[in-house]
Amino acid sequence: MKDEPQIPKSEVGHEEPALTPLGTEPAPPVRAREGDVIHTSPELAVGEGDVRSAERGDIVAGSSLWKDAWRRLLRNKLAVFGMIVVALVTLAALTGPFIIRKVAGFSPDYIPTNDVKLIKSFPPFTAPDGSFSWTHPMGTDNAGRDQLARVLQGGQISLLVGIIATLVSLVIGVSYGAVSGYLGGKVDNLMMRLVDVLYSLPYIILVIVLLAMFRSSTPLGQLVLLFVALGSVSWLTMARIVRGQVMSLKNQEFVLAARATGVSTPRIVFRHLVPNALGPVIVYATLTIPSVMLSEAFLSFLGLGVQPPLASWGSLAADGIQNLAIFPWQLIFPGVTMALMLFSLNFLGDGLRDALDPQMRKE
Amino acid sequence: MLRFIIRRLIITIPTILVVITLTWGLIRLAPGNFYSGEKRLPAAIEKNIRAKYGLDKPWYEQYGLAMRQIVTLDFGTSLKYEGQSVASIIARSLPVSASIGLLAYLLALLVGITTGSIAALKQNSKTDYASMALAMLGISVPNFVLGPVLVLLFSLTLYWLPPSRWGGLPNLILPVLTLSAIYMAYIARLTRAGMLEVLRSDYIRTARAKGLTERAVVMRHAMRGGLMPVVSYTGPALAFLLTGTVVVERIFALPGLGNYFIQASLNRDEPLIIGIVSFIAIALLMMNLLVDVVYAYLDPRVRY
Repeated sequence: MKDEPQIPKSEVGHEEPALTPLGTEPAPPVRAREGDVIHTSPELAVGEGDVRSAERGDIVAGSSLWKDAWRRLLRNKLAVFGMIVVALVTLAALTGPFIIRKVAGFSPDYIPTNDVKLIKSFPPFTAPDGSFSWTHPMGTDNAGRDQLARVLQGGQISLLVGIIATLVSLVIGVSYGAVSGYLGGKVDNLMMRLVDVLYSLPYIILVIVLLAMFRSSTPLGQLVLLFVALGSVSWLTMARIVRGQVMSLKNQEFVLAARATGVSTPRIVFRHLVPNALGPVIVYATLTIPSVMLSEAFLSFLGLGVQPPLASWGSLAADGIQNLAIFPWQLIFPGVTMALMLFSLNFLGDGLRDALDPQMRKE
Repeated sequence: MLRFIIRRLIITIPTILVVITLTWGLIRLAPGNFYSGEKRLPAAIEKNIRAKYGLDKPWYEQYGLAMRQIVTLDFGTSLKYEGQSVASIIARSLPVSASIGLLAYLLALLVGITTGSIAALKQNSKTDYASMALAMLGISVPNFVLGPVLVLLFSLTLYWLPPSRWGGLPNLILPVLTLSAIYMAYIARLTRAGMLEVLRSDYIRTARAKGLTERAVVMRHAMRGGLMPVVSYTGPALAFLLTGTVVVERIFALPGLGNYFIQASLNRDEPLIIGIVSFIAIALLMMNLLVDVVYAYLDPRVRY
C-alpha cells in the first residue's frame, strides 16, 4: 500500500501511509488483485494435485492475501473498534436474556402480574419505591417488562433478520452474477438488462405492499416473509460485483486447466471462480448487513415488520415513540443500541474493504 | 442525445408496467380484501360495491381495467375515504411530501458538498476525521431515532419548535432536518472521495502551476469533476428520499403521500394503493431519466 500513494484513500478511517512512522516494518506490496488468483504457473496448474485442491476450494497462494488483509484490518483503528463493538453487542444479545433470567429471574416478556402500576414505565436504575436499584438498568416499558432484556432480545431478532436476509441476497446475487459473468454474450446481456430494470424499481414500495398484503398470522411467518422480502431485493449490487469478478477471472489459466481436465461448467463456476471472487463478496456482504437491518427497522417501525410478541430494535423504537414526552428512555435505549451497532458494522465493512481491496470502492 | 433519451424511455416504460403489474398481482394474490375486515357488509351491498369497482369480473378484465386507469391517469375513488378520488388525495398530499423532500435534499447538498470539500482539502486533519466520523454517524442513526430525539430536544425541552403537524415554516424545520441528515452524510462522503481523486489529477496540477488562486482551482476546476459522484447519486437519492419521507411523515404526523400510502396498504384500499404506486413509479423513473440526461450532458466522457 505504501508504494502506491496514487490510490486515493477515499473513506473514513483509512490509515494513510503518511501517518505510519518511518522505520516500521515495510508493508507487503499490494497483492489484492493478483492475490485473488491461484498463483500456479500454467505448466504446473494442470498437475492433478493443483486441480484437485482448487476443486476443494483451497486458496493456494491466497493465504498470504488473507494474512495481509488481516494485518491491514488490525492497523485500522476504527475498524478494530467496530469489530469489538459488533462482537460485544452480538455476544450480549445472544447470552444476555439467559443471564438476566438466571440472575434476576425474569424473561424478556415477563409482566409482573400482581400490580402492573408498581413497575410500569420506570426510569432506568429505579426500584418501585423510587430508590436506586440495579434491577432494571434501562427501566421498564409500558407493560412493566424489563427494557434491557427487551433490547437484548430485540437485538437477536434484528441480527437474525440482518444475517439471514443477507445470506438470501448472497445466494441469489452470487449465483446470478457468476452465471451471467461466466456465460457472457447474449445471455449475460439479457441477465444484466434485467438487473438494470430491477435497479430502477422503487423496491421498498413493493416490499411495503407485499408485507401489508401478506401479513402472516404468526410472528414466525412474518419473520420468514421479512427474510424473503429483504433478501430478494438486496442482491442486485452483489450480482454486479460477482459478475465483474468472474469476467476478469474466467480467462485465467486455472480455468482453462480445469476445463481441459474435464470439469463441468457449474463446477468451474461455483468451485473455481466463486471462491476466487470471495474478497469483494465478503466486503459487500458486510455492508449489506447494516443496510438490511436498517430496512427491517424501518418496516418494523411502520408496523409491517416483526410482530409481537417478538420485538426488534425497530419495533421497540416504534413503541418508545408513543411515550416519547414522558418516558423518553423507552426510545433512547433501543435507538442508541441500534445506531451503535450500525455505526460499528459500517466501520467494519469500510475497514474490510480497504484491507481486502484498496481499489474497490463503494459505488 | 435524442437517441439516448428515446432508448432510455424504451427501458423506462416497461419498468413502470412491471411495477404496476407486480403491485396489482400482489394485491390480487393476497388472501382477503378490503371488505374482509371485522365489520361484515350485508351480502347484497358487498355484491353491489364489488360490481361498482369491477371486482366481480375475471382477473384479466380487472388487469385491463387497472391498465386503462393508468394510461388515462384516472385511478377512480378511494374505498376508505369515501367520495374522494385518488387523484384528489394525491394532489392534496403531494405538496407536503415534495416540499419536505426538496428542502431536505437542497439542505443536504449545501451542507454535504461544503463539508466534503473542506474534508478533502484538509485531508487527514482533525477537521477531516471529525467530519467523516460525523458523516458515518449520520448514516448510522436511523431517521426514526433522530427525529424523536430532535423533537425531545427542540420541542419538549427547549420549546423552540412545534413537535408535529403540518402548518407554517416552523413546522417544516424538524422534519427537513431529520430527513436530510443521512443525505448530508452520504453527499459529504461522496464529495470527499470525488474531490480527493480529482485533486490528485494532472489538470489540477496544471491549474496550480498556471498560478491560479486556490479558490479558483477548487471552485472552477476541481468541483466540476469532483462532484460527478454527487450528481450520479441524485437518482438513488430520490428513491431513498421517498422512503425517508414515509417515516418522517409518520413521526411528525404530516398529511403527505407516504403517510397515505402506508395507510392505504394497511387498509387494503386498492384503488389508492395502485394510484399512489403508479404515481410514485412514474415520477421516480422520469426523474431518474432526467438525472441521467443531465449527467450525460455534464460529463463529456459519457457516450450515448
